[in-house]
Amino acid sequence: MIKYKAILTLFLSLLSVNAAFSAEPAPAVISGLTAVDMPYDVGNAVMLRWAINPSDTPDTVYVVHASSQQAGAWVEADRFSASAKTGDDIELPFWAWDGSAMEHAVKVELNNIFGESAAGSVFRFKVSALEKGLLKAESAPVPATPVGNWFRLDRLNNIVLLIVIVIVFFWAVSHAKRKGLFIRRIAGLDAIDEAIGRATEMGKPIYYVPGIGTMSSISTIASAFILGEVSKKVAQYDSQIKVPHYDPIVMTVCKEIVKQSYMEAGRPDSYREDINFFVSQDQFSYAASVDGMISREKPAACFFMGYFMAESLLLAEVGATSGAIQIAGTDIESQLPFFFTACDYTLIGEELYAAGAYLSKEPMLLSALKVQDFGKLVVMVSVFFGIILVAAGAALHWDSFVNVILNLFKAY
Amino acid sequence: MKFIKKQIPLMIVMVVGLLTLASYYVPNKHSVDYIELLSKWENIVMAFAFLLGLISLFYSHYNKISRKTDGWGYSLFVYIGFLGMVVPAMMNGGRQMVDGRLTMLGWSFNYIYNALSATMFAVLAFYIVSTAYRSFRIKSKQAFVLFLAAFVLILGKVPLGQIIWDFLLGWTHATVSEVIEWIMSVPAVAGKRGIMIGISIGAIVTSLKIIFGIERQYMGKD
Repeated sequence: MIKYKAILTLFLSLLSVNAAFSAEPAPAVISGLTAVDMPYDVGNAVMLRWAINPSDTPDTVYVVHASSQQAGAWVEADRFSASAKTGDDIELPFWAWDGSAMEHAVKVELNNIFGESAAGSVFRFKVSALEKGLLKAESAPVPATPVGNWFRLDRLNNIVLLIVIVIVFFWAVSHAKRKGLFIRRIAGLDAIDEAIGRATEMGKPIYYVPGIGTMSSISTIASAFILGEVSKKVAQYDSQIKVPHYDPIVMTVCKEIVKQSYMEAGRPDSYREDINFFVSQDQFSYAASVDGMISREKPAACFFMGYFMAESLLLAEVGATSGAIQIAGTDIESQLPFFFTACDYTLIGEELYAAGAYLSKEPMLLSALKVQDFGKLVVMVSVFFGIILVAAGAALHWDSFVNVILNLFKAY
Repeated sequence: MKFIKKQIPLMIVMVVGLLTLASYYVPNKHSVDYIELLSKWENIVMAFAFLLGLISLFYSHYNKISRKTDGWGYSLFVYIGFLGMVVPAMMNGGRQMVDGRLTMLGWSFNYIYNALSATMFAVLAFYIVSTAYRSFRIKSKQAFVLFLAAFVLILGKVPLGQIIWDFLLGWTHATVSEVIEWIMSVPAVAGKRGIMIGISIGAIVTSLKIIFGIERQYMGKD
């Protein structure tokens, strides 16, 4: 009897061992998965972090799942190979991010998956590791609630530089009240008197073209300031000015500026409502119309100041062939070569911004030009020392040091 | 009265300017909503301002026609063109295609407006040639440098130029495409970045002048 029991026990043991060897192994557990609100964002992303597994092979693929429900309803949020998406791949500076290459860091944009969600919504996340399509490891679900942040710490370098510029700005403005400042000559602006004088002698009009920018463009704002000074001189010389417009808001602002300039020049009677007129809000229709007017009226002078794109050459070339003295200025660097070749004088970018102050000769405005010079000095010194430090760091293999220098001068 | 005409607008400019500046550093939803609100307001103002623009356009061309100034006949085309686009648009409810067929508006848009725009853009090619001719007249040292760089670029873009380069300067072992690449990626980029840095700093300072009310020419001076 005992003998039979022993045989039966042996048989059952063999069956269980066989079953244990033939079944698939249970997936391992990915431990240490954390899900936290993505820092410095509007509140629609979550950051998942977990340690890199040394046993991962090139075939290992990680799949991130997200759910907006209490249970189930998993949606695939991301999929990447084991060698990708480490802490070093997150585009944040060293003072705002402590990630390393020893961990995986994945930013999950929830609005791309679930659309807009209510504030305080809780989302759940889990990570699976697959190898050749088979589940190798899986994490336990972790919850996270995305929230909107109040400060972009990654832009700390930017705000520090801004504060320095603002301090220098106020220092320069207060300094201007005490004594005058030397400002270098800008040939293009000195030629404005010559151009207006020529127009007066010839009895021909002046065309002032403010470009195709809107009032939110800095170059258009600068152009409006220059228009104020030019139209004041035009009123003093009792010459004619015509300002064709692309944007109706710019036209409305420029009307007020020109009207004010005529009043300041003591010639309100010479002001006409049709000095500023709307042409078209289509780029080439505008260019064609202004070209037509310049060809027919043969103005003595043309000013092209503001925001220009492909129409820059269309306008400047027609002005050049009509024999007008031409002064241009824009901050679109791709259009500058066209103005250089077709116009008599060209204001390059920052000179356009400085023109209003230069012409008005107001100490407060002139002093602000010194801030531009200070900004350029900061850039030059930064570039000089940046090159030396990065080159030295790279030569000595101080990777962390090079990273710190590069982070300091990067925009986030 | 001066308070209403001067101080209040300056305060609005300063508050809106500072809030907009702060929104760059504040990623919160309130900040995003504020920028969207400003954008909506801009669109609304734009729509009304467009009407002003249209009135200004009709008024100036009406004056030209009534005074019979030089080229007054062209002003007629402003009204013809306007009616030629607006009337079909109203008839077809602003649709360019109905049941797979072009409407009058679609036809006008495709075969008049697009054709005219393309013509204007094509004219640019001829203007580039005449401008290039003007800039190739060497009047100064700077103009000579410009000519030299442009000449090498033109040379490298045509097969004949490459043959000439290889024949004359083949002994240097530098191909014309290498020289072009160097010109475009070193001196051209250096110059462009210099201009861009100046523009960026100028834009910051101009913005500060407007925000803090130092620059107020746009409001008049009384």
